[in-house]
Amino acid sequence: MTGGRRGERCGWRWWRAVAACWFGLITAAATAAELDDVRARGELVWGADQEGGGPHVYVDPESPTRLAGFEVDLADMLAAELGVKARFQQGQWDRLPLLLGRAADCVINGIESTPERARDWRCSRPYFAYALQLVARRDSPLDSPEALAKEGPRGPWRVGVLTGSAAEIEMRRRTDLAVEVVGYDGTVDCLEQLRGRVLDAVVMDDCIASFNADRFGELRGIGRPFAGGTYTILTAPDTPRLSAAIDEALGKMITDGRLKALYDRWDLAGRQQMLLLRDAAEVPPAQRGSLADLIRGALPLLLRSAGMTILLSVASFPLAILIGLAVAVGRLHGPAWLRPFLAGYVEILRGTPLMLQLYALFFLLPKVGLALPALVAAILGLAMNYSAYESEIYRAGLKAVPAGQFEAALALGMTKWQSLRHVLVPQAVRIVMPPVTSDFIALFKDTSVCSAITVIELTKRYSVLALSTGRIAELAVVTALLYLAMSWPLSLLSRWFERRLERRSERSQA
Amino acid sequence: MIEVDSLAAVRAGNRILDAVTLAVAEGTVTTLVGPSGGGKSTLLRCLNGLETFAAGRVMIAGHQLVAGDHPPRALERVRRDVGMVFQGFNLFPHLSAIDNVTLAPRIVRGVPPSEARGRGLKLLDRVGLARFADARPATLSGGQQQRVAIARSLAMEPRVMLFDEPTSALDPQMSAEVLDVIVELARGGQTMVVVTHDHGFARRAATQVVELVAGRVHRAGPPAEILTAAGR
Repeated sequence: MTGGRRGERCGWRWWRAVAACWFGLITAAATAAELDDVRARGELVWGADQEGGGPHVYVDPESPTRLAGFEVDLADMLAAELGVKARFQQGQWDRLPLLLGRAADCVINGIESTPERARDWRCSRPYFAYALQLVARRDSPLDSPEALAKEGPRGPWRVGVLTGSAAEIEMRRRTDLAVEVVGYDGTVDCLEQLRGRVLDAVVMDDCIASFNADRFGELRGIGRPFAGGTYTILTAPDTPRLSAAIDEALGKMITDGRLKALYDRWDLAGRQQMLLLRDAAEVPPAQRGSLADLIRGALPLLLRSAGMTILLSVASFPLAILIGLAVAVGRLHGPAWLRPFLAGYVEILRGTPLMLQLYALFFLLPKVGLALPALVAAILGLAMNYSAYESEIYRAGLKAVPAGQFEAALALGMTKWQSLRHVLVPQAVRIVMPPVTSDFIALFKDTSVCSAITVIELTKRYSVLALSTGRIAELAVVTALLYLAMSWPLSLLSRWFERRLERRSERSQA
Repeated sequence: MIEVDSLAAVRAGNRILDAVTLAVAEGTVTTLVGPSGGGKSTLLRCLNGLETFAAGRVMIAGHQLVAGDHPPRALERVRRDVGMVFQGFNLFPHLSAIDNVTLAPRIVRGVPPSEARGRGLKLLDRVGLARFADARPATLSGGQQQRVAIARSLAMEPRVMLFDEPTSALDPQMSAEVLDVIVELARGGQTMVVVTHDHGFARRAATQVVELVAGRVHRAGPPAEILTAAGR
């Protein structure tokens, strides 16, 4: 938008950049970069999520343009070993492997060795040993990980985990525990929600827990770390030489003590790490199940999440309509002092991203003592965001009702509010039916943003299933079909409304 | 029934009404005539508070309106006793004919729905449209719509009826249908004020004719006197 205003030259440059990006994406997708490509380029592109936090990769609080973390140093050492420079590529943590062969040569970001990952990607030799740590508030009755077996005072313990992490896999696997597992996109988010009493506990890698110990003084580690494993560097399946070169480099760094020195520098118990890495067993790849079994297993989960998508839509949209209508009526007919506030409400909600609004409702409100459950925050956030758009539609609709209608109602002795309720609003509602229906379809698809605040709807369920099973394309088809099966009837409904309105206007012209 | 005293109205710096004084007795029909832009419609709309005025005073059906903004409660009381019929009908398009007629009695006066419907059907019968009770306005002719609009106003049992060029948007045949209804009302003793260009109607039904020119009462008197003297 702004580029266009700055003139044609700038617009042209912008288009050229977009074209280059697409070309780059397409060519990168064709084949993954092998060792020779990396050397020729002079850069090893490594994927990680800076939002994931320390001690792995995080934004240096003292100089926000700089990345810090032991994996940043590791990537630099590794690249130097390969004779190239390291370049960081940002990605969402649970989807980092999808960068491979497209935007990154390797992923270095506390990726735990699991049988599924060994099956779907190339895994390097282990470079770090972790264990899981239970964290709770200091005043929590939890005194050991075993105490999770019995329900807490408020029912099952609400335990936060990083989505897609070993902690999540472990906690979901443990059916013997009385826990409700809630997946987050960042570990710091988990700790914030634990501090805000939305969660009872968090399970995370021990190094993350101790890294954050100072910042979250009111939290403490509960009991000893359990269920450990190792981190691995992922590369694309068709890059055997790059993977071998990384293994060789890691081996060298372990033998000559550079890795131990790195961990000591980061206060990560270098000597103990070396002992654990020496003894770490290789994780065997999982067997790939048949497609039929996969779909049979995934379909109930996908259907349940589709139900969540529907619930979010049908609960939030009527609310959006009611708020939107109230705002529109208030702006056109309300008291003069109220109008600037309503205009501000609309501009703020239309001018900021839905994702940010959901974040504010879910992560910031607990700081002022108002902890909303994720589902409530999601429905409220969607309703408020869409109410801004609906109010503008209704405002246009109300203005489209001829002035004579209002006069006729007033002349009959109706009050302003009676005129609005019985004469103006019913006509405006009919006028705006088509755009409102199409907004409902838009909201229906926007529900996928709610996964950012731990609500698992269809898109999130797909991404979790796709990454854990490696059937990315097959499950995408199933998920897309489910979305279509839901939005198709909505489209039919909106067309039916439009036809009905057209017939009515034809009749009135006759 | 109506007393207008020294009424003045200003719109965008122009004097639309200037020292207008007139009186309408109960049970009589007054027609407002005169050239376009003379202030007829503005005067009529000042009578039920759809427009405000700068100076003067209106007494109508026992209520008083003074210069400046009117308090909403006072306006609602006036309008319950003063019905209005518009040039463009302004029927509520989303409601059937009978619902147009019964809406105000139900929500303003709190008449029970069945009673409102019974009275509404009688009114539709009176304007010759009983069989169109369930028709939407869009399916009715202009003349039929205006007759429904008259029934809608009568449903509030107003003490005064105001008509703002009720037949200007209609062809001669439809005009005749509507005028017959208005003349019938006049014979029934309904007090009314009618803005019209139709001198035939004025001769037929008016007790008093007021000619407004450039916002002033040019002449006023019985129709025979005013309309012949004007030579039109």
